[in-house]
Amino acid sequence: MSERIRSMRRNGTFLALPTTLWLLVFFVLPLVIVLVVSFMSRGRGGVAIMPLTIGHYQRTFGIFSIILWRSIGLAAMTTVVCLLAGYPLAFFISTRRSRLFQQITLFLVILPFWTNFLIRTYAWRILLGDEGAINGVLISLGLISEPLKMLNTQFAVLVGLVYGFLPFMVLPIYASVERFNFRYVDAAHDLGANDVRAFVRVVLPLTLPGVLAGCALVFIPSVGAFVTPDLLGGTKGLMIGNLINNQFGGSGNMPLGSALSIVMMAVVMLSLVIYLLANRRERGT
Amino acid sequence: MKSYDVELQDIVKDFDSGGAQIRAVDYVSVQIADGEFFALLGPSGCGKTTTLRLIAGFEQPTEGHILIRGRAMEGIPAYHRPVNTVFQDYALFPHLTVEQNIMFGLQMEGVNKREALKRAQDALEMVRLPDIGKRKPHQLSGGQQQRVALARALVKQPAVLLLDEPLGALDLKLRKSMQYELKALQRDVGITFIYVTHDQEEAITMADRIAVMNEGKMLQVGTPKEIYERPGTHFVADFIGETNFIPATLLKRENDGRGRVRLPDGSEICAALSDDLTTTSGAVTLAIRPERIGLASDVSAESATDRDLDILDAKLVDSQYIGTDTRYTLQIAEGTELVARVQNVDGRNSAAFDIGQTVKIFWHHSSTTVLDH
Ligand SMILES: Nc1ncnc2c1ncn2[C@@H]1O[C@H](COP(=O)(O)OP(=O)(O)OP(=O)(O)O)[C@@H](O)[C@H]1O
Ligand SMILES: [Mg+2]
Repeated sequence: MSERIRSMRRNGTFLALPTTLWLLVFFVLPLVIVLVVSFMSRGRGGVAIMPLTIGHYQRTFGIFSIILWRSIGLAAMTTVVCLLAGYPLAFFISTRRSRLFQQITLFLVILPFWTNFLIRTYAWRILLGDEGAINGVLISLGLISEPLKMLNTQFAVLVGLVYGFLPFMVLPIYASVERFNFRYVDAAHDLGANDVRAFVRVVLPLTLPGVLAGCALVFIPSVGAFVTPDLLGGTKGLMIGNLINNQFGGSGNMPLGSALSIVMMAVVMLSLVIYLLANRRERGT
Repeated sequence: MKSYDVELQDIVKDFDSGGAQIRAVDYVSVQIADGEFFALLGPSGCGKTTTLRLIAGFEQPTEGHILIRGRAMEGIPAYHRPVNTVFQDYALFPHLTVEQNIMFGLQMEGVNKREALKRAQDALEMVRLPDIGKRKPHQLSGGQQQRVALARALVKQPAVLLLDEPLGALDLKLRKSMQYELKALQRDVGITFIYVTHDQEEAITMADRIAVMNEGKMLQVGTPKEIYERPGTHFVADFIGETNFIPATLLKRENDGRGRVRLPDGSEICAALSDDLTTTSGAVTLAIRPERIGLASDVSAESATDRDLDILDAKLVDSQYIGTDTRYTLQIAEGTELVARVQNVDGRNSAAFDIGQTVKIFWHHSSTTVLDH
């Protein structure tokens, strides 16, 4: 290592300066503003005015708590469904012998990203609607006589979220199964473990970092999602993201929106802390 | 009838690799006795690991049968076979402590946790690592990992222990002491060991019997002494220890397992025939170990009349002092050189001959082996 690079390493703060400034101006500062606003009162046109109040937090945990919990619940369910669907898929892909096959299937997994998220979500409206493709097929098959009510339900939101975030589960799990040394499975078999026990005791723990990363990557954006519930959930599938979105519109309430944002951020932080703790325990440090 | 712990009957294993077939194991048949220390020896890629994996049940043979304790192993998965493996890279579970690693196999048998822990600790005691139970594998040295892998396999009290180059990753000194320990351990526990190595010295010092493999075939099976002194083929003679190969012509096969051969210098000698020799007359190869060749300025009348001794004239081309021995390069005919190794006693030998001098070389009939050309 050259002397120059070594001194640069010593002066790490210097290297981190641009990023630090960036974060201060565009992340910490807005956050402080949001925090302050969340304790102010609502003025005409939804802007924030004095005096200070904790009323918005009371409403957040009061009448809006149902939506808060729904958001957490839907995000948790999305995470679980993504995990149950994504793990086997990622496992399948990463254990294929042919590299080419792996690359093609991974490409297919991320292919939807090439189309605008909004458009893809609209497509689900067409699929899930009363006159939509799914109901059409079911009715023509004679399985149902009345169309199933799917659009504008929490179910539709769940479907949309799982669809949107599944790749975020598949990719990190793929990466950790890919790194997994299958000699350990031989060793487990050798010591008397059947396939199920070898999976539970050896494969799963050793691929857990990927699972945890996938869960964090799916849960966090799901909690704050607003496009999907907006388009697919209607009023029954409203999530906290929509609520926040509404507060900053025409007849909104910026202080309430700020309070809701802070609470949502707290939820995200909490899930991140859980993730980090789980990950640390996993690494045994 | 003698009981065998492991029997391989005409085992073939083909791998499919990108359309091409690779025959990793080629009609291998062998019987391994109860309590035997059996070494599989051969160069890299000759099918040692594959043979072991077939016995362990990680791979299924393309053809042939495997019997363990007389029971056919078809359709019996690895986790139901009475064998355990010490893997080449140990394959200790990185997320479990040493104790948990050793307890793993016991828990799979349904042994309760307290009992399993106790037995794990006993096993660690046996491999003389009583204090490392709480550590993770990555906190151990290579030698310690090796012992933990051994403890993890032995705690299951298998009928047969399969070891895949267990000392391959260790440095020479540790290797030597582990060889000794492993051998002692095997004698104590009395378990059949099938031990893969590509180190011929290791196989010779440790094994009761050695199977030499090449290109998927088991070329020769025998005690270390048989393999060393009576190699059946050119490959085996070459692979085990150092050997001189002399092109020769077989003139006559005697009934006592010897034959008359003519050497390139025109002299005729008597030599032991290999059991695997198929040639009845004509071109053959004579193999002789460097340390079996004696060297003298002249031979006494007494030796000259010893009927079991072959005596030749040779020109000394080179001599090289290598500490315990001196290596002499000798020419017995144009284009035919031999290496003789003579132990240095009282520093006498190295100075005894001059380069270019003609000397007498001699060996005992039984020290030579006539092999197929
Ligand atoms: N899963 C597999 N797929 C394709 N070919 C294989 C496979 N396993 C082994 N082979 C081939 O079979 C042959 C024997 O391999 P094996 O691992 O048994 O050799 P080895 O004697 O253990 O060698 P080494 O001393 O290098 O460990 C090799 O040519 C190898 O490339
Ligand atoms: Mg091998």
